[in-house]
Order: sequence, then C-alpha cells, then structure tokens
Amino acid sequence: MTRMLQVENITKSFGGIRAVDGCSMAVERGSITGLIGPNGSGKTTLFNLITGFHQPDAGQIRFDDRPIHGLVPSRICHRGIGRTFQITRLFWKMTVLENMIVPVRQVGWRTLFSRGVKEHEEQRALELLALVGLVDYRDEEARKLSFGQQKLLEFAAVLMADPDLILLDEPAGGVNPVMIEKTMEFVEDLNRQGKTFLVVEHNMRLVMDLCQHVIVLDHGQKIGEGEPAVIQNDPIVLEAYLGSTNHAGA
Amino acid sequence: MRRWRIPAGVWIGGAFLALLAFPLVQRSQYYQHVMVMTMMAAVLASSWNILGGYTGYTSLGHAAFFGLGGYLVALAHNYLGWHPFISTWFLAIVVMAVALLLGWIALRTHGSAFVVVTIAMVFIFRIVALNLGDITNGARGLTQPRPGWGGVQWSPEIIKIPFHYIVLALLCLTVLVSWRIRLSKFGLGLVAIREDEGKAEAVGIDTMVYKVLAFGISAYFVAVAGGIYSYFFTYIDPQFIFNIFTSVTMVLIALLGGRGTLWGPVLGAFIMEPLGDWLVGTFGGTQIHLAVFGAILLGVMLFMPQGILPSLSEIRIRLTRRRGPGLSSG
Repeated sequence: MTRMLQVENITKSFGGIRAVDGCSMAVERGSITGLIGPNGSGKTTLFNLITGFHQPDAGQIRFDDRPIHGLVPSRICHRGIGRTFQITRLFWKMTVLENMIVPVRQVGWRTLFSRGVKEHEEQRALELLALVGLVDYRDEEARKLSFGQQKLLEFAAVLMADPDLILLDEPAGGVNPVMIEKTMEFVEDLNRQGKTFLVVEHNMRLVMDLCQHVIVLDHGQKIGEGEPAVIQNDPIVLEAYLGSTNHAGA
Repeated sequence: MRRWRIPAGVWIGGAFLALLAFPLVQRSQYYQHVMVMTMMAAVLASSWNILGGYTGYTSLGHAAFFGLGGYLVALAHNYLGWHPFISTWFLAIVVMAVALLLGWIALRTHGSAFVVVTIAMVFIFRIVALNLGDITNGARGLTQPRPGWGGVQWSPEIIKIPFHYIVLALLCLTVLVSWRIRLSKFGLGLVAIREDEGKAEAVGIDTMVYKVLAFGISAYFVAVAGGIYSYFFTYIDPQFIFNIFTSVTMVLIALLGGRGTLWGPVLGAFIMEPLGDWLVGTFGGTQIHLAVFGAILLGVMLFMPQGILPSLSEIRIRLTRRRGPGLSSG
C-alpha cells in the first residue's frame, strides 16, 4: 500500500486555542480510514485543513506526493479530494439534479459557456441518484428532502467530481439505522471500486465495522492508531474518551 | 385542465415588434424620450442582475461603470471624433477591464462590506473626474456636439429615433447574454455561489474567477449604456453621472421585477421608469417620486419579497394545484 495523503506536523490555532497541535498522520491508498476522538479533539479542523478551508500555521499536507497546503478548496477538489460537511451543506434552492451537476469538473473557458446540464452528465447523475434512492426527487428543491436524504444527496454529489479520496464528516450523524446501513454499503462498494475514504464518526459500531484502520485524535494530536479491534482496547484511547483509568477503575 | 396559455415566444416576439414599431407610431417626443430611458433602465437592471441576481452580490458601484463609459465615449468623441454609436461598444471593453481589476479586489469582501466597498467606487470615480480638470473639464462637465451622422445633424423631430433603436439593440443583446449565462455551466456556478459560496468552493467551483467574470460582464452593458446616455444628453458632469442614485435604481428595479430572474429586471424597468416620469411630470420637481418609490419597495418587500415575476409564478402553481384534484375527480 502507498500513502495517498500525508499530514506532517500540522498546527492550527484559533486565538489562544491550538485546535490541531503538531499532528501527523497518513491515509493509505485504497483504505477506509477512521478518524475518531472526543468532541473538540480537532477532527473537523483537520478536515478543513486538508480541504483548504483553513490554512495551517505550520506543517505540510501532501496528496499523491504533491503539497496541497496553501491551495484554495476548489484546487484541492480538482486534485481529487472530495468532502461532505458535518452539518449538511447543499444548494438549498437548486434542484436535486442541479446539486448533482454543479460539482462536475469544468476544463477550459469554452465549456464554461456551454449548456449547463449536458445529457451524459444527467445520465451519470441519475445513475448515482438511483443508487441512493433519490431519482424520483430529481426536480425537487434540495431543501424539501428529509434530513437523511439530504446527507445522501451531499454524498452522491461529491461523487460527481470523481474524487480519489473522499472525506466524510459524520455520515451517520442523526441518520436512522436503515440509512446508516445503506450509507455503509455504499461506502464499501465504492471502496471496492478503488475509492479511498477518511471518515470522522462518533458511531463506534460503524467505525469498527467499516474501517480497516483507525486514527485517534485528542487535543489536536494523534494519540493512537491501528486496527479497530486493537484501538478499542488501547488504554490511552479509553482514557481520552472516558477520563483517567484510575477514576474508571474506582 | 385545459387552460389557455400564451407561449413565451409569442409574448417576447410581440413585445419586440411593439418596441420596434413604437417610435413610428408614437410621434410624441416626450413619449419617445421616456421609452428610450425605460429601455436603458432595463439594460442597466438586467446587466446588474447578472452579478446582483444570479451571483447574489449586491453592488451599488455600477454607476461608476455607467459614468466611466459615458466619459470615455464623450472624450473619444470630442478629441478623436469617434462616433458614440460605434465607439461605445469598444470603449465599454476598457471599462470591463477596469471592472475586472476592481472586482478582483472588491469581491474579497462579502455581504454589507461588499456593498460599502462598491459605494466607495462611485465616489472615487467622481472625485477623480472632478479633479482631472485638464481632461474631464472638472465640475463644468463635458459637452458633445449635437447628435448626427456623417456631418449631418439629426433634426429635433427625429432625434430620439436613432437612440430608440440602438438602445433596443443593446437591450436585446443584454437579455440574450443574460439568458445564455443563466443556462450555461457558468450560470449554474453563479447560482451555486449565491446559495452557498463555501460549498461551491468545496465542490470545485473556482469562485473568485466566476465572481470576477460576472462582475466584468455585468459592468460591460452598463458601460455601453453610459456611453449612449452621454450622447443622448450631449452633456455630462461628475455629479450627474457618477451618481449613487443610478446604482440604487438598478437594484430597486431588479428587486421589483424579480431579482435573479431573466425578465424580472426588464419588467421592473417598464413599471418604475414610466411611473417615475409621470410622477415628476405631474408633481413637478418635488421629491414625491422618491417617496412613492420607497412605498413601492416597502410593499414589494412585504407582499412579494422575491419580486413580481417569482410571486406570479408561485400564485399560478398554487392555483393549478388547488384546481387540479377537483377537476380530475370531477
């Protein structure tokens, strides 16, 4: 396996708070990697650093061996990293289909002024919408979908840009168990087709079932990593989640 | 339900033919003048709408491009003898280049900060025009020769007619470009930026390029209109043409007709401009037209916050939905 994404000694402070503090980690190509940690441990900040929404104060981020820190988010997206947001973000007043079409990569000035929705793009969008069960809603405004459907739409739309690495920020947050199953199947299918995933999630069962590798953050630093089964019993990880072992033992 | 509806093409074609015939049928100088001003307002609002409507950035700075277009055309006419009807199309490209540069700076701000920055643009242009006295003639303004072609001045009876047709051509072009943009990848990206700029970035839209380009295009038609305007009145001065009220009017017209729609700004102009002229004509030089505009804006914001066109189509959808089941069951 080769390292697809490499984060090296990255630091980001907001005011006096060090949200990410000299963190290093890597994502292997073809893996589903979990990123866990207590609230406020820096997971979402790390996502924002990787995708260019924040600029790091120090450190490097490399994707396919090329540095990506300092690039604007759209450039990073073009390099092949897609993401979803912890709180779903869609173009609310645009239709489901339009939400799928916007991420399609445009190359050159001439395509910029060509037709907005092309047939082959629509075809591909409808295939993906069929996979997530939203094909009947193609002409509805995105805001009219249910919460779970909106998450699925955001996920499906990310795929339209055909990223190699997909960052999912709490894909199961507030979603009903059936939808969670569906999302997991979807991720596993795509992984078999060669997509790499980095997943932030609080639902431990999902993380343990889905991920081949788990990275644990606390206070902006990596405190452990390994296979899910090993991580589950790591005393340092348990301490971070549950407080000191002395208290837990007492 | 078999409700009789006129296809959009018939509406547009009919309106176009009516505008084409207007100055031949309506011989009154006054009404011809109002019509030129109305179509010009429609150009300004439609052009503003490409940025303000599609992209969601409220610019109050477009009067700067209107004025710059006017000055460039007047100067080229006076010093180089370039006919405004031809030069305005090319000189507006210069204005567009200026707008691209200013947009590249101004579009780093968002929301109300952007509004303030664009207001500042109008004042900067006005101060420059006032102080470059050697070129612009300062506060005394610039006068152009009376309109004509090939050394022959147009007689007062027909003087509005050439202006009518060139502004009509400009209006058609503006709406056509606005329509093409709305249906293109570019337009889809602009609307995405309006909806959620950060999300648009995340899915790979180079928002800065899109916004700056929208700013430049929307400045172009305003500048062409400014050039024609300066020739229409044959006189401009800095106070008069770099006027924040020109910008505000563009916004009001777009809001009234339907911001972000293709035809809303045109419809808005055909309501506001004649109404304004009638009010000024009836009540004289009072400020009553401003009060009426304020009241109209208030009414629109209260009862149809999206503007006339979107509200009308909403009402139509509601009516057909209400009637739909009754008819199909009966």
